[in-house]
Amino acid sequence: MLPTAAKAGLYPLSSGPPASSKAGLSPGADHESDVKGLPVTISTDTPATDLLALHRAGELAVNYPKVPGLLAELDAAGLTRAGHVLARLDPDEVRRHHPGTPVVGVAVTGHGTLSALVPALTAELARHGLLLRPTLGNFGSYLVELSDLDSAIHRADPDVVMCVLDPVMVLEELPLPWNVEDVRRALDEKVALVTGLAARFESARRGHLVVNTLPLPRAVTAQLVDYRSRARVGAAWREANAALLRLADVHQRLVVLDLDPILAEGVPAAEPRLSTYAKAHLSTELLAEMARAVGHLARNLTGQTKKCLVLDLDNTIWGGVLGDDGMDGIEVEDTYRGQAYRAFQRVAKQLSSQGILLAAASKNNPEPVREVLRSHPGMVLREHDFVRVSANWRPKHDNLSELARALNLGVDSFVFVDDSAYECGLIRTALPGVAVVHLDEDPALNVQCLLRDGWFDTREVTDDDRARPARYRDEVVRQDFLQTFDSIQNYLDELGVRVDLAETTERDVPRVSQLTLRTNQFNLTTRRMQPADVRAWADAPDSTVLSIRSADRFGDNGLVGAIFLRRGADGLHVENMLLSCRVFARGIEQACLAAVLGHARDEGDQAVYGSYRPTVKNGIVADFFTRYGFQRAGTAFRHDLRDIDEPPEHVSLTLSFPRSTP
Amino acid sequence: MNSIDDLIAIVRDELGLPITDEDAEAGFDQLAGWDSVHLLRLVTVLESTTGRRMSLPAVLEADSLADVYALATQ
Repeated sequence: MLPTAAKAGLYPLSSGPPASSKAGLSPGADHESDVKGLPVTISTDTPATDLLALHRAGELAVNYPKVPGLLAELDAAGLTRAGHVLARLDPDEVRRHHPGTPVVGVAVTGHGTLSALVPALTAELARHGLLLRPTLGNFGSYLVELSDLDSAIHRADPDVVMCVLDPVMVLEELPLPWNVEDVRRALDEKVALVTGLAARFESARRGHLVVNTLPLPRAVTAQLVDYRSRARVGAAWREANAALLRLADVHQRLVVLDLDPILAEGVPAAEPRLSTYAKAHLSTELLAEMARAVGHLARNLTGQTKKCLVLDLDNTIWGGVLGDDGMDGIEVEDTYRGQAYRAFQRVAKQLSSQGILLAAASKNNPEPVREVLRSHPGMVLREHDFVRVSANWRPKHDNLSELARALNLGVDSFVFVDDSAYECGLIRTALPGVAVVHLDEDPALNVQCLLRDGWFDTREVTDDDRARPARYRDEVVRQDFLQTFDSIQNYLDELGVRVDLAETTERDVPRVSQLTLRTNQFNLTTRRMQPADVRAWADAPDSTVLSIRSADRFGDNGLVGAIFLRRGADGLHVENMLLSCRVFARGIEQACLAAVLGHARDEGDQAVYGSYRPTVKNGIVADFFTRYGFQRAGTAFRHDLRDIDEPPEHVSLTLSFPRSTP
Repeated sequence: MNSIDDLIAIVRDELGLPITDEDAEAGFDQLAGWDSVHLLRLVTVLESTTGRRMSLPAVLEADSLADVYALATQ
């Protein structure tokens, strides 16, 4: 909801009175005239459409606790849109439905038109489950508003006051023509002004004051034609920014946002048309980034700062799959991708040095993980850097819940990082309080992904913080894998797992061969096969190969496994079965096995036989056959086809291999 | 954007304003909750929807959504 001050006018319009002054409605009036009669159908399409559906139905306030989940996956454009919709909500109405929702008062004042900050702040606070109570200052009045303790800004008693500075406040002080000294003088005046405001704020007000450094427009340097003057004006500008940044040293409750790193990532400083015509001197994108930073400050002020970084291992802190590639096969140092993973590990270590607890949650056997953490020469992170390493085959949200109990922290203090959309989706669904960072496919972008949000931003790091990881450090806890998966059934039901089981075609041969060569964990006999071997198996009269493809709502997983069948006089033999561990434990293996058993029965086979040959790495499937109704028969396993387990209901399987084939 | 109804839908969904089809001709001063911030946001949305740049000075002088629609589609 726009604040009272907004209605007094936001920026001067050359064509007449501010349009905003025409809007004389009380906040509640909007809701009285809200669009009625639209059905409340919450689609499962995208979070953005869900949010829109709630908005259209006038159900946003009632459903405010769902909003953080809906915002979690939105990009910048989506968040901007959501912010405008959410800004229409009356915080009091939300509180009537959900009295426990924390409210954070943020006053926005400063130079230029800043109205875009209100929706941006609304969205950023809503991401954290917070409610914004905004106060927007009048255009051009920031000096008076911050100095006068009786101003609307101060009377609102906000938790945070943003005083937004922009380069135009310096440029409009320049004479014509101007030189470097004129710029330096104008900058000095502004720095002195902000210094005075900060001191006055600290002595008279509670809460935090947020100011920002000044972007240096090219239009300033480029107006000077000699290189030396350009260099000097650049230096003067940076000295002013440095002076602003140093104010944070002397004022406890002052936060100085350094805009340079944001601009360096390609966020535009200004949009010339909006600056010229609407006096909005900082771009909407930049204001959104500033709002994001204030969102994290608000999170910190309400005691919700994240404390623990939970990292996946395979393809997150190293490249490759440890169970398949082995310790020597994972990438963590000298290769192109290895260097990217190593850089990511260094960032995690750096965070840990400031009191952030590191934990690992990985679908792996514990021993190889421990071996890598202890003795892989390329690793930056070691066993002692983690407060706990959960390497097992349980659903990850169980590991996170258990970790939270062990650390005596709430799961909402966790940030979870994974490259798998499946795991990220599972955590979002099962533990909505956890911040989920879904890594890009290219590891070079992983550092940016992790640091894009200031999840661990805090006002102060104490010695106690730095000592925290050591206090929490724990033995690597060995967990049993392959426990029951009941707790993720709801998630699986909505995952929409589709499996296509079909005879391997010539086109599949290279990939099937690759799977036999690379898959170590879910590989029943670990028989390695070159493409020619696969082809021979597929073409022989008494044998066939089936390709397993899978897809779910996150996308197509491609060819993820294979089954090698041979028909003997005594029945059908599963000579080998493999499945990529990316898709393991989603019911795919069970559905495929049930299909094979059903096929054998239809074909009149007396029994199906299964082979398992133990290796160091395939212990995960040691009991695969017995779990699904096979009896041990000598060195093999036998299913008499009398009682075939139903395939899991959440998997929809398409079977296309012709009858009367093995 | 094929008709002014599309513009009305954009205002409802992108700006969150509860306006109706009858509001197209109404002056901005008659629109519930209308504010200058909405006009700026609307220009951004329309430019990305139509792929064409609008004249901001002209938009700032518009009195109604019908005026804005005319500018966006001219």
